Amino acid sequence: MKLSVIQLTVANVRKDLRLEWRSRDVLNSMLFFALLVVVIFSFTFEPTAEESRRLAGGLIWTAFLFSTTMALNQSWARELRNGVLDAYRVAPAPAEALFFGKCLGNFLLVLLLECLMAPLFVLFYNLRSVGPYWQLIVVFLLGTWALVVNGTFFAAMSIRTRNRELMLPLLLLPISIPAVNHMVSATTKVLTGESSPVSDIKFLTAYCVIYTTVSFLLFETVLNAE
Amino acid sequence: MKTPAFYLLLLITLGLLAWGTYQAIAVAPAEATMGDAQRIFYYHVPAATAASILFGVNFLASIWYLLKRSQQADALAVSAAEVGVVFFGVVLISGPIWARYAWGTFWVWDARLTTSLILWLLYVSYLVLRSSSEAGSTSVLAASLAIFAALDMPIVYMSNRWFRTNHPQPMIGTPNLNPEMQKVLLWNMLAFVLFSMLIAWFRYDLERTSQKINALHVKKASQGSMALTALAPAMLLLADDKLLREKAIQHHYMVAGYTAVWTIYIGYLLFLFAKLQRLKREGQEVGL
Amino acid sequence: MIAGLSDPTEGSVSIFGLKTRDALARIGYMAHAPLLYDEFSAMENLRFFGRLYGVTSDAPLQQAIKRVGLDPHLERRVGQYSQGMRQRLSLARAIFHSPQVLLLDEPFSNVDLDSAAQITRLLTEMRSSGATILLVTHQLGVLANSADEFLLLSSGALVERGAMPQASR
Repeated sequence: MKLSVIQLTVANVRKDLRLEWRSRDVLNSMLFFALLVVVIFSFTFEPTAEESRRLAGGLIWTAFLFSTTMALNQSWARELRNGVLDAYRVAPAPAEALFFGKCLGNFLLVLLLECLMAPLFVLFYNLRSVGPYWQLIVVFLLGTWALVVNGTFFAAMSIRTRNRELMLPLLLLPISIPAVNHMVSATTKVLTGESSPVSDIKFLTAYCVIYTTVSFLLFETVLNAE
Repeated sequence: MKTPAFYLLLLITLGLLAWGTYQAIAVAPAEATMGDAQRIFYYHVPAATAASILFGVNFLASIWYLLKRSQQADALAVSAAEVGVVFFGVVLISGPIWARYAWGTFWVWDARLTTSLILWLLYVSYLVLRSSSEAGSTSVLAASLAIFAALDMPIVYMSNRWFRTNHPQPMIGTPNLNPEMQKVLLWNMLAFVLFSMLIAWFRYDLERTSQKINALHVKKASQGSMALTALAPAMLLLADDKLLREKAIQHHYMVAGYTAVWTIYIGYLLFLFAKLQRLKREGQEVGL
Repeated sequence: MIAGLSDPTEGSVSIFGLKTRDALARIGYMAHAPLLYDEFSAMENLRFFGRLYGVTSDAPLQQAIKRVGLDPHLERRVGQYSQGMRQRLSLARAIFHSPQVLLLDEPFSNVDLDSAAQITRLLTEMRSSGATILLVTHQLGVLANSADEFLLLSSGALVERGAMPQASR
């Protein structure tokens, strides 16, 4: 009785979340790192409320981009320990389930990070949004998915390289620049209320669709590159 | 490898490069406001064209590799990427030299420059991935990355499309471009594109050799690379002749541009030559 | 290559007349590495891998664990098992879906005599019930009396083949 891709994806997500809950190493390092970034930045700038609305977009996404990179490497490293990835490859389960499971698991973790960090940003930068909050939520969901889907894919590639901690940001950052541009731009537009982020949101949606599809198609190839 | 076709192409390219550079420096009319400093146009644009073609080749070769897993496709992909990065490096260096003169600053974050920088970074990361991945998986991983990179290009371009740009707008074929200049540009375009193909061909052969370590190929390869490095001093010499006539500071920029650019080309050719020597030694070790 | 982890440079592999990728459900694989999550208990590990093979009930999983001589109700994390226990659990992971082909890579390395004996007994049982077992090992002694056929490899080439090892290396 074979399970469907969705059921297997869910099984993978649950397994990842449970593993994470047992060790909590990814969440801890992500949180700590993001916290450091926030604190350091608030020492260096002391923005007024007006200024902080302009700067915050860039700062927030920088912090999340680097935290995400740490999470992604760790997530695959867990599969390599004890060779568990090979066990997956010899099982009749489709690679797509593994990929989506990883993406969703990472996505949920990073979202959790963002929820935990948000009050801190508000606190340190005196941040209050002029534009509607629901737009911020959409931007964060799309932006996070854009980072996570490419990141999970490139992390899977990097585990076969000699210096994997370096490889992932090296591969991920250039590809993500257009997305990050628009994430930051959209966030700033919503916070300052100066213009509509709709075009940025459209771009992010297109970006997510395109890269999710390509990653999905190429993942099995990358997984089995021997 | 070093068939008559290669040597024929070499001769043609040599001739065209000499002709094109002569035209660019001596024949093409001086531009109204920028004078000699504008002559960068004649190798900057061709280098960009050559690099774009090569990146396109890399994309197609990568797809071919993923479908057929052929060694030739893989060799073609890496050669095209590497030579493309070199030529694009030329673009990214000659551009700022010109910009320093024309705009007073080396770099601005406008649409086209940002796009170009990202493109270059993507292919550099492709090369880094190739060099640091585990032996068996390199080709497959690199080919996948190439597809991502190629996809990113239109995305980056579109995303910046509505931003204001400082970079000169496309002029080829429009009435804005002096027909004299257009002719010179086209000669140079042909010359540099052929030059890039020549180097890429050479690089491709090195790669295939490295794939097979075949002593016969290695011996023939050494003759070809000698000829290519002779091109470089020839170019510099030609530039020097014209130096005596010009006095304006614009011409300093022009010379700086040519020097920088040919240093890059020579440097890369030397690197390929060194790689060739190493392959020769490895070939001997394996006993072929 | 048989497990589908590496591609052959020439030729092809087929099992039950199918390509490896299509026959995975009938293959069991045990490697030198335990292929288990350190943070999970035995049953948690097997439940996850069970789902990959479409096994959703606990019964076959518990049975597999018992067959290798371990306690299925142990809550201890696998990371705290001894090497012998880990190897046995890894074997349980390879057999719970009743594979017809079993591939084993150095199952006896770093394993105490007791566990080794248990593993050998289990393998013999499986062979009797019709499974094909392919085993790689440096220790010829352990299987001298149980195996049907030996293939001796040296420097990547097949050197000898037969019912019992002719030379001692």
